[in-house]
Amino acid sequence: MIPQAYDERVTIGAPRPRFGLPARRLCCLCMALTAPWRWRLSERTGVPVNNMREGSGGEPVAAFSMSHPAVPALYIVLTLGLTMFSMQPVLIALSLAGGLAYGFATRGTVRTLGALRWQLPVILIIALVNPLFSASGSTELLRIGMRAVYLESMVYGLCMGGLFVASVLWFEAAASMLEYDKVLALLGNTAPVIALMISMCMRLIPQFLRRGRTVLAVQDAIDVPGRAPADPVRSRLWASSVLMGWGMEDSLERADAMRSRGWGAVARRTTYARYRLKPSDVTALVLLALFGAAAVAVAWIATTQYSFYPQLSVPAPWPGYVVYAAWMALPCVLRAIDEKRFG
Amino acid sequence: MTRLDRDSVSGAAYSLDVPAIETRGLRFAYPGAGAPVLEGLDWHVPQGAFALLVGGTGSGKSTLLSLLKPEIAPAGERAGELRVLGEDVADMDARASAERVGYVFQDPENQIVCETVWHEMAFGLENLGVSRDEMRRRVAETSYFFGLEDWLHRDTDTLSGGRKQLLSLAAVLALRPRVLLLDEPTSQLDPVAEKNFLHALFRANRELGCTVVVATHQPRPMLEYATCTYRIEDGRVREVADLASLGGREELLASGTCRPAQGEAPGVAAIREGWFRYDRASGWVLRGLDVAFLAGAVHAIVGGNGCGKSTMLSVLAKTAKLQRGRMMRGAASAALLPQNPKALLVAETVRDELMEWASTCGYDENLARERAAQLGLDGLETRHPYDLSGGQRQLLALAKLLLIGPELLLLDEPTKGLDLESRRIIAHALRDHAKAGGTVIMATHDLDFAEQVADDVAMMFDGEIACVEPPADFFADNVFYRA
Repeated sequence: MIPQAYDERVTIGAPRPRFGLPARRLCCLCMALTAPWRWRLSERTGVPVNNMREGSGGEPVAAFSMSHPAVPALYIVLTLGLTMFSMQPVLIALSLAGGLAYGFATRGTVRTLGALRWQLPVILIIALVNPLFSASGSTELLRIGMRAVYLESMVYGLCMGGLFVASVLWFEAAASMLEYDKVLALLGNTAPVIALMISMCMRLIPQFLRRGRTVLAVQDAIDVPGRAPADPVRSRLWASSVLMGWGMEDSLERADAMRSRGWGAVARRTTYARYRLKPSDVTALVLLALFGAAAVAVAWIATTQYSFYPQLSVPAPWPGYVVYAAWMALPCVLRAIDEKRFG
Repeated sequence: MTRLDRDSVSGAAYSLDVPAIETRGLRFAYPGAGAPVLEGLDWHVPQGAFALLVGGTGSGKSTLLSLLKPEIAPAGERAGELRVLGEDVADMDARASAERVGYVFQDPENQIVCETVWHEMAFGLENLGVSRDEMRRRVAETSYFFGLEDWLHRDTDTLSGGRKQLLSLAAVLALRPRVLLLDEPTSQLDPVAEKNFLHALFRANRELGCTVVVATHQPRPMLEYATCTYRIEDGRVREVADLASLGGREELLASGTCRPAQGEAPGVAAIREGWFRYDRASGWVLRGLDVAFLAGAVHAIVGGNGCGKSTMLSVLAKTAKLQRGRMMRGAASAALLPQNPKALLVAETVRDELMEWASTCGYDENLARERAAQLGLDGLETRHPYDLSGGQRQLLALAKLLLIGPELLLLDEPTKGLDLESRRIIAHALRDHAKAGGTVIMATHDLDFAEQVADDVAMMFDGEIACVEPPADFFADNVFYRA
């Protein structure tokens, strides 16, 4: 049965906004998008956190923190592209070193080393597994049954593993350079509704988790002799249905709050952005694009000239690598300059 | 900031002779409902007024206010004249309505749309397609007016309820409305946050010249700000001449219900030197807390936001574990009523809701029906829990917990946002529970309720109990903290 209040709104038809997504549908969509987080409820104890502690929202120090978001965005897109498409040992090593160095600089030694605990095994596993699937190459190392294990395919696996970990590291760097409000500013005027949806989800997810903990705590607090302790699966299902009802009900009010502040009043929303594109940003973009073009050229030449099969080519020293290394070290260098400037 | 009544940014300048709100012969009926909620309603609010609209639950306060905002008006039959600033409400489009009439809802949680404070402030302006430079200016101005700069970059989810509600007010005022409608804006706030909010509202009224209409069932804290007060009753609005009559305190328990003299009762729960924090990085919420509760009594815990009241209840409910010290609980059974009853509601009808734990906790339908009648829920069995009023929902949650027969009943803000009738029913239910030998421990901001219902009142401060006294002594001794 659908709550009557809900029903009336839908069937009898409250005034609907003429443009854009109807507010309530947007709310529901956001609720649905939060669903994957529901199963993370168990991570914390069921403590009702009603008296929220208020933390401070300081700006983290990341490279490009003083530029318009378009600058880090260009850097990140180019770097991720370079990393993911350059299957060449030297380039992968340089990219991995750059990503690691930036991790050490911004996230600290402990967290970066902690992540290496799973990243190094991943590289090893891919290196060991690859020869089992691709039996090509010319330097036979050993035989397992009928299959030969070749050095070339093991090196290829090692490079794949390195490439994968380097990409992960650069994605993490991307998250620190492009926080969500910068992404919002970039999306802003081209996709205002998507930008708003992201913002709403970011708002609803912590609320959803907090409520989930409250609901589970209420369930746990019921202590009656003879009552079997709540089965974790059932109590989570119960919590999910409580949360769904609660969320749907709230979405009605949130939709009203959105409409009362002019949601759908004009055909095209604008987006408030905390960043303006200044001449220095344009200069930075042009320089970065030129530098990036050079790095792409280097990667192209190095990758096309290199081959794993049938025999590994041996990379020779080449000035091009310096350009590539400089590109990968750029955020670290910029951050160091920033640090020095602020003492 | 120029005063909004002299402001011509939003288009036409209005002469002060035009009333802010004017209705003539307004009639409104919900579809399917027999009698209309509003009938022959004539109402007139002058510009610049700070008007209160009082009335009980279901009297039509919210309906009347939402009829003034066409985009959130409920579906139903409407007749009669309805004008805001001289313009017929039916002629206002979404844009005009958003620019002229601001609306603040009851629940601070639900009306915040965006993730960060600055984005929430800009939300309405974005909707109206205001240019970026103009938005920057409006957000800046409004932030300064409310002193929001310090938390402009905070996530809205981490704000306290009082700040959330203040942000909602600021976000609406960023649109520079001439008329501000508020539906029970402070019912979810603690008394200190309520004062703060009302003061901000008062400044918007006097300094900006914004006409303010507040619908409320508890007008007492607002009386000193109000310039006129209206009561809505039987579908009509009339002005209240005698403001003092609204400031009186209401009796919650019939005079016949006397509290038993405290004898030698056994202890039912105690915390000895309890220390608790939510994680290593945060501060201690409970700091060497020592407290003991006797059986057969109603205990009230009062204190400001974040003083550790709710945390103590979680410890007593065994959903949070002390890091140091001991919690002893003698009661055979216990249950916890959370601040928001929605955390307990899962079924499709009131009846199913009450019967949810029947098999596991051993009660039958007759008992459920009896309990529902006791808590004023009779006749609602087939309704969906979300179709009930806030007060009825709270009573339903309480009935559900009472049915499992807990010896120890823990309540977190049981009267938050409730009208007088529901508070009376809860007062009686708690007294009955204590009379039957049960123990009630409630954390509350409702000092009136604590004074009239509790056997003793403990004030919590900084993770400790500052004092425990019988209510009469407690309130006689308090200079700053009183109802």
